[in-house]
Amino acid sequence: MRRRQFLAAAAASLLAGVPRLASAQWSRPPDRHIEGREASWYRQLPDRRVECQLCPRACQVADQERGGCGVRENRGGVYYTLVHSLPCTVHLDPIEKKPFFHLLPGARALSWATAGCNVECKFCQNWEISQFRPEQVASTWLPPEELARQARNAGARLLSATYSEPVVFWEYVRDTARAGRALGVRTTVVSNGYIAEAPLKEVLPHLAAVKVDLKSFRDSFYRQVVRGELKPVLRALEVIRAAGVWLEIVVLLIPTLNDSEEEIRDLARWVRGNLGAEVPLHFSRFHPTYRLTNLPPTPVATLERAHAIARAEGLEFVYLGNLPGHLAANTLCPSCGQLLIQRVGFTVRENRLRRGACPACSRTIPGIWS
Amino acid sequence: MSPQLTRRELAQLAGVAALAAPFSRHAHAAPRARVGLAALPAEGLTPASARAALEKALVGATNATSAAAAVRALFKPTDTVGIKLNCLAGRGMSPRPELVEALATLLGNAGLARHRIIVFERSTRELRRAGFLPGDHDTYRCLAIDNDYDAEPSTSGSIGSCFARLASTTCTALVSFGVVKDHDLAGISAGAKNWYGIIHNPNKYHDSNCDPYLADLLRHPLVRDKVRLTILDGVTAQCHGGPAYRPDATWPLGVVAASTDLLAADAWAWRVIDAERTRRRLPTLAAAGRPPRWLATAHQYGLGVGDPSQVEIVGA
Repeated sequence: MRRRQFLAAAAASLLAGVPRLASAQWSRPPDRHIEGREASWYRQLPDRRVECQLCPRACQVADQERGGCGVRENRGGVYYTLVHSLPCTVHLDPIEKKPFFHLLPGARALSWATAGCNVECKFCQNWEISQFRPEQVASTWLPPEELARQARNAGARLLSATYSEPVVFWEYVRDTARAGRALGVRTTVVSNGYIAEAPLKEVLPHLAAVKVDLKSFRDSFYRQVVRGELKPVLRALEVIRAAGVWLEIVVLLIPTLNDSEEEIRDLARWVRGNLGAEVPLHFSRFHPTYRLTNLPPTPVATLERAHAIARAEGLEFVYLGNLPGHLAANTLCPSCGQLLIQRVGFTVRENRLRRGACPACSRTIPGIWS
Repeated sequence: MSPQLTRRELAQLAGVAALAAPFSRHAHAAPRARVGLAALPAEGLTPASARAALEKALVGATNATSAAAAVRALFKPTDTVGIKLNCLAGRGMSPRPELVEALATLLGNAGLARHRIIVFERSTRELRRAGFLPGDHDTYRCLAIDNDYDAEPSTSGSIGSCFARLASTTCTALVSFGVVKDHDLAGISAGAKNWYGIIHNPNKYHDSNCDPYLADLLRHPLVRDKVRLTILDGVTAQCHGGPAYRPDATWPLGVVAASTDLLAADAWAWRVIDAERTRRRLPTLAAAGRPPRWLATAHQYGLGVGDPSQVEIVGA
């Protein structure tokens, strides 16, 4: 069994543990034709071509062709999303795994993804689904209302669009968030933030929180390693913040590529100056994978140095990730230093917050706590 | 004026005209490559006429004494030959089964067992839409890649892809059996672009008119070292609106083209398409902003002759 098949099988078996999902049909017929449904953000061009308006790539797509994401197809001048209601993985995760550290600590999130991504990070951890087309991975039919119902029935307080890239299944995110809200389940998104402003603004009111992977603070890195651009991501961060939707940022530090002191300092200053000191910033450890296997895992010292720089630049909540047991996974009160939330891995060992405030000095800690 | 090119016009396209813009900046001496052409009108096309045309094109491409000799020189009986079709546009603009059958017969006559002759395309659905039935046939096996790709990606320059196992593992030699058509992003889709169909993520590599991505794919050892032959079904060609089938943009070119050079057939196809576009008062591909720059890049890589002025047309 190949790795991708294993992941699909694992996803299927895990999903089987979610109440009422045991009968879901995970399948990858050899020649499945996906009906799809008309996409929400595109415009028609002459000669049956279309221009996608979902992400900054703005793909102009000829008839019978797909956009760069591989999950949107032009059929005779009508643009279709092929992944609405067609997740390739569904899993119950602790919300700390996303990671969200200021959002309902210890809550479970029914997390889902479809195939596809609008960038191609050479270090992608989930490339077996993000870099494949929907007909190339096992998937199941799971409409938004059903997904939301499964979350509620599984006792999940949250839904989370994650793993691959929610931007490419943005209509599904929107419709699931609406369905979830009706059932009292809030929706979060884990994204690269490479999205056009209009669709972002349209869906943000339905979301509880967004975590953005800021891949680097250098456009050259975005172009060479991610095949994206920095500027639209920074703009998306500002839009999310301005909309009042809870925001956390993760930066995967990759040795020699985006871990210089200067870049980390620039990034931290920008976050503080443009988003605010209270936005949590997570530095995460890189492990070699996909097309970037010639670099070692990030040294712990590099991560700790980044943590120190960001704190020195005034960011109040700086965390280190992919380092189980490290103290920098804990939340401390920025005013008095009191330990507020103790985490080990994805587990919350202790939560001392009282109504979202420090029990020692009463400082309000930003986040969604109830 | 007839919509079909005359023999004289075809000959003019052989390289008499000036160098195309992408090559003018870095033209360098390269050996001329041959493209064998044979007339094959759509009207009255039969298995026999298809085979005769293919044989003539092969002789023209190789300068061999016969098509059988050409095939024997290119393939060993112990080879497993994968014939990659381009069926994206359906029956209207895909290689004709008669021509594919003719090639398979030639391979069989050269001593290859039927199970060593594999006609394939990305999906079963595409094969069926183009008139190919997956399964065993008298002279070949017809298979779809569907989702059978290598488990790990392989990198070549700017691309990183999982290759179809049919191409990477099963087959020891490959043939691109394409068509002659316009492509909205790559400029043309003929023999080379067909190889996007053996990687799992072609949608990632259409930026910048597929340059340098397509050239990087061609440079991958799996393509560079295994591809022995390119054949283009030019019975009907399409000068605009590709890669989908656009009947109003097709014309009866009426030829079969063959080349053992990785790029030369594409260089020829580019000139043919541009000539037809000019005839229809459409801008050339360069003027339309989508010249096949990848062809110049691949030429620079030394993968073949992508410069139309250096391609020698033989026949038709």
